[in-house]
Parts: sequence; C-alpha cells; structure tokens
Amino acid sequence: MNADGSPEMLELNESAPSRGSGGVIELVVQGRPCLYDGDPDLGSLLEYRGENSLYVNVRINDEVLDQRDFENVPVREGDRIDFLYFMGGGLFVQPDRRRN
Amino acid sequence: MFNLTEEEIERYSRHIILPEVGGAGQQKLKEASVLVVGAGGLGSPVLLYLTAAGIGRIGVIEDDVVDLTNLQRQVLHTTSDVGKPKVESASETMKQINPHVQVDVYHERLNKDNIFALLDRYDIVVDGVDNFPTRYLINDACVMKKKILVEGGILRFMGLIMSIKGGETACYRCVYEEPPPPGTVPSCAEAGILGAVAGVLGTLQATEVLKIVTGVGEPLYNRLLQFDAEELRFHEVNARRNPRCPVCGEKPTITELVEYDHSCEIQAP
Ligand SMILES: [Zn+2]
Repeated sequence: MNADGSPEMLELNESAPSRGSGGVIELVVQGRPCLYDGDPDLGSLLEYRGENSLYVNVRINDEVLDQRDFENVPVREGDRIDFLYFMGGGLFVQPDRRRN
Repeated sequence: MFNLTEEEIERYSRHIILPEVGGAGQQKLKEASVLVVGAGGLGSPVLLYLTAAGIGRIGVIEDDVVDLTNLQRQVLHTTSDVGKPKVESASETMKQINPHVQVDVYHERLNKDNIFALLDRYDIVVDGVDNFPTRYLINDACVMKKKILVEGGILRFMGLIMSIKGGETACYRCVYEEPPPPGTVPSCAEAGILGAVAGVLGTLQATEVLKIVTGVGEPLYNRLLQFDAEELRFHEVNARRNPRCPVCGEKPTITELVEYDHSCEIQAP
C-alpha cells in the first residue's frame, strides 16, 4: 500500500516471465491491496510473486482451493488471495501435488 | 485466600498486579498442566515462559539430544549441554528458573501408541515439533480427545500459529488437509530458520497458553496467524471449520490415529 492508502503495483519477481497483456486488476494479496498486470490466473500470480506453488495452500475469498492446478484457476478483480504456507518446523518437507 | 506462598506472591507479583490475572489467575496457572511436544526452536521459548509464569506441571516430550547446530535458536540449551538429551537439559534449565514447577520428562518420540495416555495427563498441548508426521498425529489426537492444542510452525523467516479447541474450532487439517505423502517427495532439505523467528512464534504460543488458562482475552481459535519476519508483518486468515476436514468435518475419514512415514526426515542431510 502507498502512504496515502492507495494500492501499490505488485512487485514483479526477477525470475518471473514478462508481464501479461490482460490489463491491470486490483487484488488483495495477503491482506494488502495491490495492482496486478500479469496473466489473470493463479499459477501466473504465484510465479509473478516468486512463490513456489508447491509450498502453499491457496485460499481465494476465504475458500480453500481443493485443486492444485493453479494455472487453471482464474483471478478476478477484487479477489482476496491468501497463501497458507506449509511450515513444518526447522525441517522442510516439500508438499507434493497431492490431488493430481 | 489463594494457595500461594509469600515467595510465590512476590515472584508472580507482576502477573498478580494485572487485574485480568490477579491472584485467581495465578492460582489457575499453578493448577494447570501443559504438555510441550519438542524442546527445540519453538519448545525453548514456550518452556521458558511457561516455567517462569508458574504453570504447575509441565510435560516435555522429546527424543533428541542437544546438537551444536541447535544452539543458534534453541535457547533452553547451552554449549555445555551438547550431547545431552534435550529433556534433561530442558528440565535443568526449567528448575533453575522456577523450582515450584513440576517437570515431567519423556525421553521418547511421540507416537500413536503413547499419545492418548500422555494427553490424558495434561490440560493443554503445545506443538513444537519439526516434522509433519508428528504434527498431524498431534492434531488428530487432540481432535479425538477434545484437547486444546496450540499449534505452531516455523520456516526460514516465517511462522504460523493457531489455537485449536479439539472438535469445536477449526483444526490444522481444516486448513492443511493432508501432509505430503511419503515416498512421493524425492528429498528433504534444511531450508534454514532465523533463530529469533522461533522465539517470536514460541513466545506467541506461550502467550496463548497463559491466556487460555487464565481466561484472559480471545484465544486464536478459528484464526491462523502467519508471521513474515522479512517484511515484519502479521497476516491473519479466517480459518473456520472445514466441512470437508478428514478428521473434524461432517464425514470424517480419519477415525483412528494414522502415523505418517518419517522416512523423509531420515533422508535429510
Ligand atoms: Zn478439522
């Protein structure tokens, strides 16, 4: 969020592909309003943010996604997106694509 | 009035002076029993604060010994403890902090055969484990036994905490239905952990226990709080009960304890 409370452009992760052509939408990611101009699917958003899709469960508008093929999940203007990270402790176990 | 000695009244005076706690709250702490699973990164601050706060009886279960690599975050143990069972080192430190606390030590691994008997002996359980199989075992057992569980996890610069009233509020599986299945994960790697992040989360877990015992405030039920140290932000997610939850949902598929494979850990470097 900017100092005046207006949403900030979502920071592009260095390794993410070039920005999509879907126009700019406003999302609430991890409780923070932000603008996003990447491809409007969850897989692209994760990549854009530099999140490893294997490490997180995702909730959109408080609903836990029961699928992990994130590239097929659209993100729409106004969506509230929360990432629930797998945190097991000091030891890290990679969550798999359990429902595929 | 209360069953507290002069020395205890002085020791706990900064608690007692809080109107929300008072002598009655301190008495509740003295009568409480808490089982802490793991005496590592999370367990250290949890045990230190619960001991200092005067929880009457604290159980510590941990099968590991102190390793030099633990000392960067496991502040319950010192350099001279390297090689010692963690439960031994833990109970020594705890008794020095507060001799009034009864410390029960279990130098063993929590498993499906010993967990129910252990849970029966304590009011509240704190999860400070470093692996998924035990985490799910504790969650499921607490749901089945309707125990209060203060769940916590840490990784790199992040942590999460959630309080669970077994069978009543959202459980760990309501949010994270399944752990990574064994055999499908090629390898495990140490991702690292900033030591003080363990301190933040463990201290929050201890705070939850003290609140729940004394009845102060609102426990972190049906809420999951994530901590991001890099940006120094907390993010709360509404975690109401999931009707699809395999252990506390409408049609539970897990009706007896399952113990996931620990093979992943064994392969870890
Ligand atoms: Zn549940």
